[in-house]
Amino acid sequence: MSRILVAEDDPHILRVICMWLSRQGHEVREARNGLAALQQLCDQCPDILITDINMPGMDGLELLRHVTSRQPRPHGIVVLTNRWDHRKIGEQLANAGVLVMPKPFSPSKLAELIQSLGAAASAAARSTTATAEGIE
Amino acid sequence: MSAANSNNPAEPPLRRVATRLCADVFPEAAGLCLVATLLAGLFAVGGVTYRALSHDADAAFGEHGRTLAGVMAAELAGPAASADESARVAFERLVNRSGIVAARWRDAEGLVRMEWPSDGGPGRSGAAAIALASGKSFATPIPGPNGRPAGTLELTLAWSFSPSHGRVFLSWGLFAAASLLVFLLIYYRLLRHVRPIQAVQRSLLDYAAGIEHELRALALSDSLGEVARGWNRLIQQLVELRRAADESRSGDSAGGALQRFESRTLRRTLDRLQLGVLRFGLDQRISYANAAVARLLSRTEDSIVGRLVSDVLEAESAARLLGAHARATASLSFDRMHGPDEHAATLRFTLLPAKADPSDGESIVTIEDVSHVKEVERARDNFLYHVTHELRTPLTNIQAYAETLTKPSFDDEQTRRECYNVIISETRRLSRLVEDILNVSQLEVGTARVELDDVDLVRLLRQMVQDNLGAADEKRIDLTLKLPPKVPKLRGDKQRLSVMINNLIGNAVKYTPEGGEVSVTLELRERHVRILVKDTGIGIDPTDQPRVFEKFYRADSEQVRAVPGTGLGLAIAREVARVHGGDIYLQSQPGKGSTFTVELPVAEEVGGASPSPAPAAVRPRTESSQGEAQP
Repeated sequence: MSRILVAEDDPHILRVICMWLSRQGHEVREARNGLAALQQLCDQCPDILITDINMPGMDGLELLRHVTSRQPRPHGIVVLTNRWDHRKIGEQLANAGVLVMPKPFSPSKLAELIQSLGAAASAAARSTTATAEGIE
Repeated sequence: MSAANSNNPAEPPLRRVATRLCADVFPEAAGLCLVATLLAGLFAVGGVTYRALSHDADAAFGEHGRTLAGVMAAELAGPAASADESARVAFERLVNRSGIVAARWRDAEGLVRMEWPSDGGPGRSGAAAIALASGKSFATPIPGPNGRPAGTLELTLAWSFSPSHGRVFLSWGLFAAASLLVFLLIYYRLLRHVRPIQAVQRSLLDYAAGIEHELRALALSDSLGEVARGWNRLIQQLVELRRAADESRSGDSAGGALQRFESRTLRRTLDRLQLGVLRFGLDQRISYANAAVARLLSRTEDSIVGRLVSDVLEAESAARLLGAHARATASLSFDRMHGPDEHAATLRFTLLPAKADPSDGESIVTIEDVSHVKEVERARDNFLYHVTHELRTPLTNIQAYAETLTKPSFDDEQTRRECYNVIISETRRLSRLVEDILNVSQLEVGTARVELDDVDLVRLLRQMVQDNLGAADEKRIDLTLKLPPKVPKLRGDKQRLSVMINNLIGNAVKYTPEGGEVSVTLELRERHVRILVKDTGIGIDPTDQPRVFEKFYRADSEQVRAVPGTGLGLAIAREVARVHGGDIYLQSQPGKGSTFTVELPVAEEVGGASPSPAPAAVRPRTESSQGEAQP
């Protein structure tokens, strides 16, 4: 199970994401804008970050600039956006390992994506640990 | 005047040069010859007269001299025999007469006895000798006592014309001067007439000789008078005729639609177009450009025609047009920004295809300012961007919560209720949004149907306040309505006015923190009514104030974003006010609150109703039936 941070300004969307992911057994934390999300990231880096783009104060793109330039960073980052240029955003962020999911989205698809990202993250963590143990 | 004549081989070059020289110097040379002839004539007449007169005078002088000498010699005959002193006195008395320049008395032996003037002394050649030798002298024997001459008297007299001779000469001089003056006057007048003709002749000779090919160069200075002006008009007409003929020739081989280009009417019509039209040929030179081209390219008209396309247009546009022209394939169209950054216009260049055979073809380019089209496209994109953004949020919620409902793992009663509530509220939000978008679009473009009716503003305001009481009570906001005692009816669209007032009151309640106040006041003015919606809410930042009435505009602050909204409410309110001939104003202080003032004109007289100094405060006590279902 993964630690997930969700940054989203629409309370209904935030609620439904949290509902689905907690039901899967993930540890989910909420942030209503970019700045709040960044504060939570500094406190504890999540395994996966899910963020909206258009948010008051600090928006999602600004948040991603902070997140991708620091260590440790989340293993998986998913952007949910209702911007019509989401394809362009996806292409721009592809290099940073960011997945873009346009709104409206299917919560079950999102849950599947998070599940696979979580699995990949834990596999990577295991291999890192194994390598570390091997070195020791 | 045909150019063929100019190179007539029959005319030898020498003769041509001679003709040219004649034309150049003839009037001046002729004038000088005439002056010379006149002067020669005058001098000849003067000379002949002088000769005749002096001959006459000489004869008279000789006569006079001889007579005088004879008389003087006779008078000296007596004293000659006497003593020297008396002879000297007699001689001096005689010679001391006017007209005698010098005199000499020789004795019988030829020796000088006395002379006058006597400064030389006896035996010496003095002034008298010189005068006698050079002047006209008369010698007369002095009679002696025995019939033999006692000596000789030599006299020199001052030669002079008689007064009658002087008068003749004066008359001749006056006549000569007058003739000269008259001639010079005539010559000057003639020259003024001859010069323009001479200039015209010179121009014609130059043109005939092929020195001047450019007709315009044959024009004369207007200072040469009416003939020169007439000549210039003739040249101008000739230039226009030739240009028309040239264009007619080239027009025959250019694009079909513009074949009859030479027509002046058509040219004038083209000059009045907003669309720029220019034409260029194989030499890449622009052969025609209408007035709009100069305006669109911010150039002067005479800096376009005759120039290379690459000199007139910026490099990339010129290269694309010339490339397409060379290929002579399909038409080409592209947009380019033109002008300084902040005032840049978007120009659309369209190349009309040349004829199938490009070797004889000229291409036509139209230039159109499409800035307004771009502006509309930008506004449309912006609108679509916001609309899709706003529509996607409720759609996302509806899809997500609907899918949640279908999942067996969310089967508990509480989750199902929550899902239903969200789906219902988001569906309402969606339909409200669609309605708002339609409203604002229709109002903006003026296609909205406005149904005018007598509107009871008091009733309408009461209703709207009542509708918002529920939301106000939830936040413990004191919502009050202040009305004057008598309010005239207003001509307006009741439904749209209620949307406007509802939006304003709804906003005030939404953005006012718990425990605040919202007051709605109706004021009567002479020709309009004012509806003031005042709150003690979060206020609007001065930087956001000019934009709050824009579609989809929402201030980028957490306090604003925390409240759901589309950014269309105020845009609709303003459009409704404007549709009714009024407007809406905002006064706001961040942190203190905002006041929205709607001014609506009243057509009819208030009818004696004066605004009450103490308006009645109304606080309707009806619960709102339109409370939003919350999840």
